[in-house]
Amino acid sequence: MLNSDLTQQIRDKARELLESKAAECVIGYETGSDGAIARPAFIYSPDGVERLVFDDTCTHNLASYLVNRKGKATAVVLKACDARSLNVLLQEKQVARDKVYAIGVACDGIRQAVWGRPKGELQDRCKACQGHTPPIYDVLIGQPTSPDPPAPSDFSRVAEMEAKTPEERLAFWQRQFARCIRCYACRQICFGCYCQECFVERLDPEWTGIRVAPAQNQMYHIIRAFHLAGRCIACDECQRACPVDIPLSLLNRKLEEETLEMFGHRSGLSAEAQAPMATFRPEELE
Amino acid sequence: MAVDAEPRIVGFLCNWCSYAGADLAGTSRMAYPPNIRIIRVPCSGRVDPLFVAKCFEQGVDGVLVAGCHPGDCHYVQGNYFARRRFNLMGRFLDYLGIEKERLRLEWVSASEGKRFATAVSDFTQALKKLGPRTNPT
Repeated sequence: MLNSDLTQQIRDKARELLESKAAECVIGYETGSDGAIARPAFIYSPDGVERLVFDDTCTHNLASYLVNRKGKATAVVLKACDARSLNVLLQEKQVARDKVYAIGVACDGIRQAVWGRPKGELQDRCKACQGHTPPIYDVLIGQPTSPDPPAPSDFSRVAEMEAKTPEERLAFWQRQFARCIRCYACRQICFGCYCQECFVERLDPEWTGIRVAPAQNQMYHIIRAFHLAGRCIACDECQRACPVDIPLSLLNRKLEEETLEMFGHRSGLSAEAQAPMATFRPEELE
Repeated sequence: MAVDAEPRIVGFLCNWCSYAGADLAGTSRMAYPPNIRIIRVPCSGRVDPLFVAKCFEQGVDGVLVAGCHPGDCHYVQGNYFARRRFNLMGRFLDYLGIEKERLRLEWVSASEGKRFATAVSDFTQALKKLGPRTNPT
């Protein structure tokens, strides 16, 4: 359902930025070709701003496109959760703050979509969402509806998994990983997976074979998730992108829980904080 | 794996402390199980989670990461990073069904040959108790 108020404000802001040349490109959402769910849109001229929309199908994390903009002035529409990924990218010096104009949107939640059709229910991340206000923005669109900072994710499914025996867990994950076709959609869609050359594609050293087989798939998923430890902002886009429905967010959520418990770290709340794997405290951990 | 009941361990030992510690264990003729295959690395901070994942992909039963005691790192802080990394990784592997006992982090200084021998013996015993890994192929 189109939110005409937010849409209008986003369009006005985009026009203003493009006309004043404050941004060369505005990354936002437009209606997909089938008219059902939104897709990312790159607007380069003021004539195009009418394409921009905002509704409850705007699921993509548009911060993913910022690294490839290579320092060109860009405005980007960010929901509260997506804005956390901008913080992570700033922290890691992947984007320059003065080249990004963040159009923060206080959104009311995004609905699930199945086969490109929106369903009534909110996405899991939105059900658990406690902070509709982006932690970083240049302009805020919409009314913030709840206090900051956002509460941590819901870890109940992680606890369920931990209650199983190691054998059951191994069997569960082997069953999941066995389905993986190694399309790397989970990696491509992730804002945090921006390496020029991913370890799975390196031939020298060959970290893991290109063979689509359980051991190799397991290796890929261990490292994919681990590289996001303390960086993942729980947008669950990897799981949405997965064509074989591997519950990837269960992996990410576990690492999120552990980094919170062990290091008291929550990703993306500020651009100054340091990633837990890039720092230490001498007195911690035994 | 049933035929090969002896656990196989890959040990990543830092050049400055643990490798020298292992060397001391050897030159002092201390007996420890031959299950460990040692790989010398400049620092425990050099050990990438990729190395550990690769070992498990290849079907080893346990991975030992050993470095200088916290505070004694030749590169001042490498082992602190390793400590965070492998504490987290152990818990994560456990979640995936690879028991956390299979990844061990030890601090062994250059003078602690005995400690190294004990660590390898203990680790081998623990892995025997756990039984062989069911490694997916």
